[in-house]
Amino acid sequence: MEDYELVRRAQAGDARAFTTLVRHHERSLYATAYAITRSQWDAADAVQDALADAYAGIRSLRDPDRFGAWVSRIVVNECNSLLRKRVRVVPVEEPPEPQAFVWDGPEDGMDLMRAVQRLSPDHREVVALRYFRDMKLGEIADVLGCPTGTVKSRLNRALASLEAVMCPRTEEEVSR
Amino acid sequence: MNCSDVRDQLESYIADDVTDVESMRIAEHLGGCESCAAAYERTRSVVADLKGISDAFVPRDRFAPRPAYTSCPAGGWLWRTIAVAASAVAIAAVGALSVPAIARELPFGVAKEFDALEDRAEDLQQQVDELTVRLETIDGEQVAMVDTTPGDLAPEEAAAVQQLAMDFIRGQYAGDVAALEAMGTDRLKADLAARPGDYVRDGAEGLTFAQMTEPARAEDGTYLIFVRLMDSGDWSESQYQEDFEIKLIDGRYLVDFMGMDA
Repeated sequence: MEDYELVRRAQAGDARAFTTLVRHHERSLYATAYAITRSQWDAADAVQDALADAYAGIRSLRDPDRFGAWVSRIVVNECNSLLRKRVRVVPVEEPPEPQAFVWDGPEDGMDLMRAVQRLSPDHREVVALRYFRDMKLGEIADVLGCPTGTVKSRLNRALASLEAVMCPRTEEEVSR
Repeated sequence: MNCSDVRDQLESYIADDVTDVESMRIAEHLGGCESCAAAYERTRSVVADLKGISDAFVPRDRFAPRPAYTSCPAGGWLWRTIAVAASAVAIAAVGALSVPAIARELPFGVAKEFDALEDRAEDLQQQVDELTVRLETIDGEQVAMVDTTPGDLAPEEAAAVQQLAMDFIRGQYAGDVAALEAMGTDRLKADLAARPGDYVRDGAEGLTFAQMTEPARAEDGTYLIFVRLMDSGDWSESQYQEDFEIKLIDGRYLVDFMGMDA
């Protein structure tokens, strides 16, 4: 069933439809939150809280086709709120990582994820929304509240950084 | 289009987020410019790897919304334990559950038992290590039973709680609201009257009891039991779970709360 229909059912009070929607989006939302917060704890918390907010507020979503962008915005906001709080918290001891999601990809995929996490906060957001959430430039601009051109330039700079880490150019290529 | 224009548009070109005219111009340039073609190939490779990241995160504990009628502490929705099937695989999966995870399944109303249960976690962990799944015949039906708290309850006490949970579920599938009322406390009756649609499952057929936990008793005397079910409903990939809080009132076991989990 398409998101559009699931959203309409969820808006009519069908918790099962919302659960199915969550199944469609949970991986990419988690990857997005993990990229932004750089912590599995915070990512799991952010997604959990965001989905709770989304469920509570699903009736306020006027265009069911916009669910993906809408829930992305909620997750990004939760992540940023967590990051702001974290600045004020001095961790005494790093808690063990939770296992809400486990990585089942190639090792170099996780290397790339770590490279994303080392980007600046602005760059992490655009990369996650573009490639994990599969959003258009205009949609990302709406979620982040900035011009499309800004999204585009951040993406280009972020990709250049990632390419430099993941596939460094040879001297011959650089000199060309 | 010169090299600078193309480099600026490469990302959008790869993401198919350019107009047809732009796409044609960029493709034309790439065909004749070795340097830009190499840059394209590098970016395309990183983008392809980035796009594979989301799917490589496999959910283990899953989020499921509480039905709207459930009383929850703020932000109290929980990552829910993924379905376990009554099989050898399930034994391993259940073994992987930590007791705090089970404790966190407790619905609101016994939240204060959380802390006490967590204190006992180490002790219980030893029992979890010995968790087993056995088949039991309850009311003529074979159900896989997860030993969560072996030996905690008297057999007749456990059987009464299990029987009530199964009868309640059968009532839900029969759409028999009067029967559900008769099995509930005042709290449940009130919720049932307010939201019958959250309880009645008379549209679905082919009810199968997949698995249930052995009942546990919280310190305030509330019994907790989780039952996994399958039906013909098309919403679920396989199974779902009903979580029960059951109370013993004037010698009768009554359902005080029923919550649904993925």
